[in-house]
Amino acid sequence: MKKIMNDPKITSSTSHSTATGLRMGCKAVLHTALLTGLLAFSGLTSAQQTLKIGAINPYSGPMALYGTEVTRGYELAVEEINKKGGLLGKKVELIRGDASTPQQGIATVEQLANNDKVDLFLGTYISAISLTASDTAARYNKLYWETNAVAQNLIDRGLPNFIRSGPDSAAFSTTSVATIKYLVAPALKKEMKDLKVWIEHEDSIYGSSIANSQKISLEALGAKVVMMGAHSSKSIDMNDSVLRAKQANPDVLLQTGYVPDGSLLLRTIRDQGVKPPAIVFVGTGDTKETLDALGADFIEGLLVVGYPKYDISEAYGPGSKAYLKAYRAKYNAEPLAPQSMAAYSGTMILFDSIKTAGSTEVDKVRAVVEKMDVPESTYPSGYGAKFTKVQNVRSNFTTAQWQAGKMVTVFLKEAISPGAALKNLPRKQ
Amino acid sequence: MDQILNVLIIGLLLGGIYGLVSIGLNLIFGVVRIVNFAQGELVMLGMYGSYFAYTQFNISPYLSFLVVAPLVGLIGIVIQRFVIQPLRAESNMQIFATFGLLMMFQNIMLMVTKGEAYSIGGESSRWSLSVGELSLSVVRLIVFVAVTLITVGLHIFLNKTLTGKSIRAVTQDKLGARAMGINVERTYLLTFGIGATLAGFAGAMLTPIYSITPGVGGNFILAAFAVVVLGGLGSVWGAYLGGLIVGVVEALAGYYIDPVLRSAVWFMIFLVVLMVRPSGLLGMVGAEEVGFREQN
Repeated sequence: MKKIMNDPKITSSTSHSTATGLRMGCKAVLHTALLTGLLAFSGLTSAQQTLKIGAINPYSGPMALYGTEVTRGYELAVEEINKKGGLLGKKVELIRGDASTPQQGIATVEQLANNDKVDLFLGTYISAISLTASDTAARYNKLYWETNAVAQNLIDRGLPNFIRSGPDSAAFSTTSVATIKYLVAPALKKEMKDLKVWIEHEDSIYGSSIANSQKISLEALGAKVVMMGAHSSKSIDMNDSVLRAKQANPDVLLQTGYVPDGSLLLRTIRDQGVKPPAIVFVGTGDTKETLDALGADFIEGLLVVGYPKYDISEAYGPGSKAYLKAYRAKYNAEPLAPQSMAAYSGTMILFDSIKTAGSTEVDKVRAVVEKMDVPESTYPSGYGAKFTKVQNVRSNFTTAQWQAGKMVTVFLKEAISPGAALKNLPRKQ
Repeated sequence: MDQILNVLIIGLLLGGIYGLVSIGLNLIFGVVRIVNFAQGELVMLGMYGSYFAYTQFNISPYLSFLVVAPLVGLIGIVIQRFVIQPLRAESNMQIFATFGLLMMFQNIMLMVTKGEAYSIGGESSRWSLSVGELSLSVVRLIVFVAVTLITVGLHIFLNKTLTGKSIRAVTQDKLGARAMGINVERTYLLTFGIGATLAGFAGAMLTPIYSITPGVGGNFILAAFAVVVLGGLGSVWGAYLGGLIVGVVEALAGYYIDPVLRSAVWFMIFLVVLMVRPSGLLGMVGAEEVGFREQN
């Protein structure tokens, strides 16, 4: 535009004849149109050369920490694919969409679809946000690839654009029950039928659904569920539950909840002198907060079911060590939680699906996903890719144990690193 | 029998926690006539302050409260002077302002901590006393002793000192107190400061017991409001007694009925008290109305 304005032919004196002026005006219009066209074309080319992914997570509010952590997994996957030349011949661009509530999930997806024109969506750390965000993405007929939200109903509703690469909440139940059957019972030298289990859970749908499923599975295996306790995740006292459990004298405490209530439960059983020989936590209990709250001695032997940790064997999670190295290099910090590696692995499965489909269109990617048959231990979190009803059934949780202030993977068997083993079960405390 | 005794002791210790959180709220409620929604957040600031002192300087919360509590008290004075006082003609706006402060403090701490939960006291909080079948958490026992001492101390302060008497005078009749030469605004500042200091102190005492998150104050505040109304508006002993009642009822209901129903049971008692005696168990009859009427 500047060039046109400086063109001496256009800025020529007004003493020129009208005809000449008109001719010049026409030329200028032509120039402008040509240039605008060129700019538009170059913009179009640029847009076509970028594959935009909307990353839906809470980046503000109380859940921002983990939302950001999960997104770091996406970022590392995007960085890696771009180093290899991108996807479908295009550079992949990740655009963050902040959704700290389900309502915000709707607004953010609408904004990313309308304004940023993203090709597909990737999420989410929180199931409730995933629910509304993916529903909104369906209205735009955009793929919603879920890496971390675990709620069962995300799959059950049969949304056409929704695919989940990570394990679901039922896997929390199956892995925790398997941990009790294959790890705890032998260590306590008891048959399942002789095992008394106290199931404690926070009282939202998250904790309740997992606890109910655990109860059914444990009873099917012959174990006795001697107590089912429910508490609010905001509870400030759990003595009543603990006193009730004390009467039942359980062999195993199986808890599903969040960080504050989990720590309060451990503090309360310690204060009340309740000493179950084995404690299994689901989802939380593996962070520095638990270590700070209770001390290394007390949590020694505590088992935690969750996303595969960074110490898994390279044979089980090929590339897990390289992932950890890349994470440290990029963020100059230790990963806060293993969720980011699960997010990374899920994103790599997504990229493989898009490559095979040659498209990001929902139908084409879905068709590819339904035929995928990648064995377990292909991706860094130990995932493979085999989808049943758009749920990846080759993604698992693992179980780690607190040993001398560190988390050591002790289950699944193939995930255990050389030299690592189950210790201090029954617990000494 | 041992079990009943155990449940009662647990209830009393829990009541101590409720009383500790409520006592500052009750003072502010009774004297300044402000429903301070941000009181829980002042407790939360006290917890973070103690956590900071512990992790940075290795000072136990049982010592750092000497600095943390007055600092939170200072925040209280600033709130009263620059937020509440300018809105004194708008009592509803004062309440909304405290709600705004709640959001502000929570979000500032969210920004600082990014929502990560903190804890201290891995070793120090593990002391417990065992007497036969009974087991007592020492950190909770400390809270109980502290709230008892504070209640007695506050009672003496309000009844025996000139400043305390001026606070009581303002509570009973603001206009009369002003006519007698009491500086009502300064009394409000002092009261809000004491209430906030008590919240900071509560935060320090609770730090070895709970995980610290920006939203932790909200876990206490609902119960604290119930304790204040149940015990009696503006009554120091009311907050103490109300806390103990709520704690014991909660423990009994949780153990003998169902843990899920424990809050529902004491809220029912709270509603009954509210209907039968709106001024609370130890509150002066009519106290729940006087302040608001004066402000109109």
